[in-house]
Amino acid sequence: MQSITIRIPSALRAFAGGASECQVQAASVREALSALQTEHTLLAQKILSRGGELRPFVNLFLDDDDVRLLNGLDTPLRGERTITIVPSVAGG
Amino acid sequence: MSMRERRMQDLRRTVPQLDPVAARERLDQGALLLDVREPDEIAQGTPLGAQPLSRGFLELRIERLAPDLDQPIILLCESGARSLFAAASLQQLGYRQVYNVSGGFQRWKAEGLPCAVPRSLNAEARQRYARQLNLPEVGEQGQQRLQDSRVLIVGAGGLGSPAALYLAAAGVGTLGIVDHDRVDRSNLQRQILHADSRVGMSKANSAEVALKALNPSVEVCTHELRVDATNADALVHDYDLVLDGSDNFRTRYVLNDACLRHGLPLVHGSIYRFEGQVAAFWPQREGPCYRCLFPEPPPPELAPSCDEAGVLGVLPGTIGLLQATEALKLLLDIGEPLLGRMVIYNALSSEMRRLRIAARMGCSCRTRSVEPIEALQGDAAL
Repeated sequence: MQSITIRIPSALRAFAGGASECQVQAASVREALSALQTEHTLLAQKILSRGGELRPFVNLFLDDDDVRLLNGLDTPLRGERTITIVPSVAGG
Repeated sequence: MSMRERRMQDLRRTVPQLDPVAARERLDQGALLLDVREPDEIAQGTPLGAQPLSRGFLELRIERLAPDLDQPIILLCESGARSLFAAASLQQLGYRQVYNVSGGFQRWKAEGLPCAVPRSLNAEARQRYARQLNLPEVGEQGQQRLQDSRVLIVGAGGLGSPAALYLAAAGVGTLGIVDHDRVDRSNLQRQILHADSRVGMSKANSAEVALKALNPSVEVCTHELRVDATNADALVHDYDLVLDGSDNFRTRYVLNDACLRHGLPLVHGSIYRFEGQVAAFWPQREGPCYRCLFPEPPPPELAPSCDEAGVLGVLPGTIGLLQATEALKLLLDIGEPLLGRMVIYNALSSEMRRLRIAARMGCSCRTRSVEPIEALQGDAAL
């Protein structure tokens, strides 16, 4: 299991008790999201469908890469990595 | 014999001389023909196919035009004297195939060889854009390209304000400003196109006042309307690039779809409190579209507007300027535009990251060639 940092954007922090990030142990992106579900259930409900897939207004980045460019949620995690949640925002 | 004449006599022994017909033949064979006269002379006419590079900048800029020291280079001035000295200078730099056109442009014209009258900037423009003209990546050609460009800025608000001001300052010839709203005092904390004296005025008109005051040579087209699926095509049709400074998802999807249909680059920017996102979408060239990234907007409880959530006034300044920068890069075709990339910025942590973003299988931008255009219209996904 790897120590993964999940960064939470300000648009979603209200659903994570104001936290800007959390640390989880996971061997894949999907496992990291499961751990997020345990840590911040409300946030996970907002960004994941019932089937555990990402909802269409959210992207996940493993370090600087969209996970869709990798193996999606099945991307394995090795070493200390950072997952960043990037939701769509519309302010202008 | 004067010192100058003696020196020229020496140089003619070391710099091969070509008559204009021979120079023309070598130009056709791939030689670089440089017109080293001053811009006001070149403005009157220059050999067809010649590159302007005034004598004063020759040594500084030659490497960009001719990185290979074995590139054949032919130099031309009005009569063949200045270009002779210039040729000697290039030889000293190490260029091995340097020629001079004897008789210069006077003889070129007299022999009936083809000429062109290049478009040139007037004295006022030369002064205004001097710092930009000095950039090899812009130069006179790039500046004229900007002058010929038409950019539609959707939203004269927090993002549109800095973007419009800097694009006007940079000399983008035509700026379309779309906004249906009126200036409110609460806008002035971040919407720097407007002023306290113009509270109550339509934002599009207020923007025109500010942009014309900054650069009277810019043409400003005001569009006092709310962009929707019924008017987006007609709106974007006349422009080369669209800069999205809107404040709602509906407009963002409508603009994305209209830009896709018209093959236009869309420079995206959006903000929330202390964070911002910037990307350029132009799947016809590279990378995904906005729908690839976010196929659907979030539910309302996850997407409060700036009115509800608040925004640090300087944040749209930063993001709007990044958008203006991307627009200039795309218009000038320089650098690495954010196609397939998105920059996210956090003002509180001062962190800026450039992320790689992915196209999405099945997105309308991927299938547009087989889908009827009507299927892309409207905003059914919203």
